[in-house]
Amino acid sequence: MDSLLEGSEHLERELTPEPIIAPASVSFVLHGALFGALVFYGVLAGFFHKNTWGNAGPGGAIQVNLVSNAVPLPSENPPSQNVLATETPSKAPAPPAPKAKEAADPTAIAMPGKTQQTQQQPTQPKTQLHQPQQKPDNKAAFGEQAVTSMQRATQAQVTQSGPTSVSTGDFGSRFPWYVDGINRKMSTSWYKPEVDPRTPKGTRVYLTFTIYRDGSPSSVQVDRASGSPTLDRSCVHGVQRVDTFGQLPPGYTSSSLKVSYYCEY
Amino acid sequence: MKTHVRISRSTVSLPILIGIASLGLLALGATQVQAQDWVRTGTNLGAERIRIAAADFKAGSTDPQTPALKATFDATLYSDLASAGIFDLVSKSLIPQATPGTPQEISLPQWSAPPASAAMVAFGSVSDSRGRIVVYGWLFDTRNTSNPQVLGKQYNEAASQDSARVIAHRFADEIVIRLGGGINGIAETKIYFVSSRTGTKEIWAMDYDGQNQHPITHLGTTSLSPRISPDNTRLAFSSLSREGWSIKMFSLELGRPVSFPAGTAGGSNFSPSWSADGSKLAFSSARTGDPEIWVADQSGSNLRRLTTFRGPDLAPCWNPRTNAQIAWVSGRTGLPQIYTMDLDGANIQRLTDGGYAISPSWSPNGIGLTFSWNRKYGPGDPGGQDIYYFDIASKRWVQLTHEAGSNDYPSWAPDGRHIVFERTIGGHTEIWTMLADGTEQHQLTHSGNNFMPNWSWK
Repeated sequence: MDSLLEGSEHLERELTPEPIIAPASVSFVLHGALFGALVFYGVLAGFFHKNTWGNAGPGGAIQVNLVSNAVPLPSENPPSQNVLATETPSKAPAPPAPKAKEAADPTAIAMPGKTQQTQQQPTQPKTQLHQPQQKPDNKAAFGEQAVTSMQRATQAQVTQSGPTSVSTGDFGSRFPWYVDGINRKMSTSWYKPEVDPRTPKGTRVYLTFTIYRDGSPSSVQVDRASGSPTLDRSCVHGVQRVDTFGQLPPGYTSSSLKVSYYCEY
Repeated sequence: MKTHVRISRSTVSLPILIGIASLGLLALGATQVQAQDWVRTGTNLGAERIRIAAADFKAGSTDPQTPALKATFDATLYSDLASAGIFDLVSKSLIPQATPGTPQEISLPQWSAPPASAAMVAFGSVSDSRGRIVVYGWLFDTRNTSNPQVLGKQYNEAASQDSARVIAHRFADEIVIRLGGGINGIAETKIYFVSSRTGTKEIWAMDYDGQNQHPITHLGTTSLSPRISPDNTRLAFSSLSREGWSIKMFSLELGRPVSFPAGTAGGSNFSPSWSADGSKLAFSSARTGDPEIWVADQSGSNLRRLTTFRGPDLAPCWNPRTNAQIAWVSGRTGLPQIYTMDLDGANIQRLTDGGYAISPSWSPNGIGLTFSWNRKYGPGDPGGQDIYYFDIASKRWVQLTHEAGSNDYPSWAPDGRHIVFERTIGGHTEIWTMLADGTEQHQLTHSGNNFMPNWSWK
């Protein structure tokens, strides 16, 4: 009974129309005011126009005219104070004006046996005239580099000693064959294909590790990372793959050997 | 009628023509195969070899026996260093004439200069006094003038040709372990094999260079697949007897067969294989009717079965590095393929993707397998049976032998640089050896038929 009463009350509430006129009119007024404010601001802003970039006309962006397609660079040759060796020689003197042709005397009587001298055209001297020197074109080269400029790239220095350096005393000079052995062993145990091919050529990672008397390497550490994680990892794996570098030489008294090694991609 | 005849003639003649043409092509192909050479080239092909010179040793005494001993010693040392696989040996014709016998007598610039251009030089003296052969040997680094000595050794043995060879082997092994990064040389290792030169197939043994070939067993029956134990004391092989094919054990110390009860049960038992610690033996047995892989202790007790799949399982081979995996040949999918599994029979992986693959041998460092593979097996596919190396981690393989007979039974040397195998050319089977990259192939046996070589562990 109670629930039935409640239900009818609920139904009644549902059927009563909600008052929408008052909120709707408020909404209309507010939206109208907002629109009016926008239009007003637009009109007002038109009066106080500020020219910040470019012209007010169409295409209002700054326009840059390319004066030259190349940035002039200072000449490679330092300016010379020597007058004789100047790059801008003075102009050659103007060729002399052609002499006025002597008018033939109309009263003269030609003498027999005397040939008339043929007027010879002045010929150019055989010597090479001074060619004005080409001004050096100090343009910075863009895009594809000319072959000649490639030679300025620094070449990696090929060292004779190889990638291993031993930091303990005079080991390297006393037992170079053992150092060579480390190089040989590492060159077979380091797998280059493990390295990401995007790694720049010539990138190096420096490792340090210790070789014990029985020749086993331990405590492998990256001393100077290459920036390529795959190269670092592959080089460390290369050392870890080695079981033994061979017993340390009998003439070497210390118990272990500290080695620095680099892998160069 | 006429047309019919013509048609039938053409249908008959076409296959004949094709047959003749294919015969001609086959003959042509055969001659081409015979004439084809292989060139290996590329960049970064491993490490540069050490240029080493082996000087003729100086005769330290005037005993009449000395020249013969010295000749044997020099020849053996030269061939040991030449076949070590890590040296670029200076030819005898390029070495200086001087024969330095002591460090005081050697002039290093003479050896480091062209044409010898040697980085290392081995020299010394051989003398023979009162029935003893005394050898002093040195290895000098020619580029290091202040501290040239790498190695100095002295040997003293009863004088004989054999001891001269043994001393040369030992000195060569010392050089190899010193310059080869701590890996033992193989100059003193042995190769065990099956030979039928006495009429029946018996187990024989020889030095690694093919010298000193001698029979081990005299059973008068057929014996196959010898496997030497890691401590070089026992030889396991399969042999035909009244019980059928059984695994036999032969003690090299006692010189007679010893019992191995696990290997004689009914059914055929084949292809024994030692674990690297010598405590266990894996073999193939058909005692349940189907050839499966079984493992027993070396005493013959504690027998258990590893494989249960239908189809033949043969030729087990342990991973000598971990001692916890077995590679074997299984015919469960038809043609034999190479599989690996853990020691409890779990984690089975198939390595080869087809063809006819048999005789696996695990490399000493455990990284790869060699086996014999006919990649194009079947009628109309005249593929060759060749030795392949298979890298387990990357699942890539390299073909080691090319177009030279039928090759089978590869077996690794303990240094991981050499492989011995059998090669059949024209119905004649002999033992060959090569470097693990397939180069420097040499024939070791030359008489009778010789099969199934097994390189000793040390």
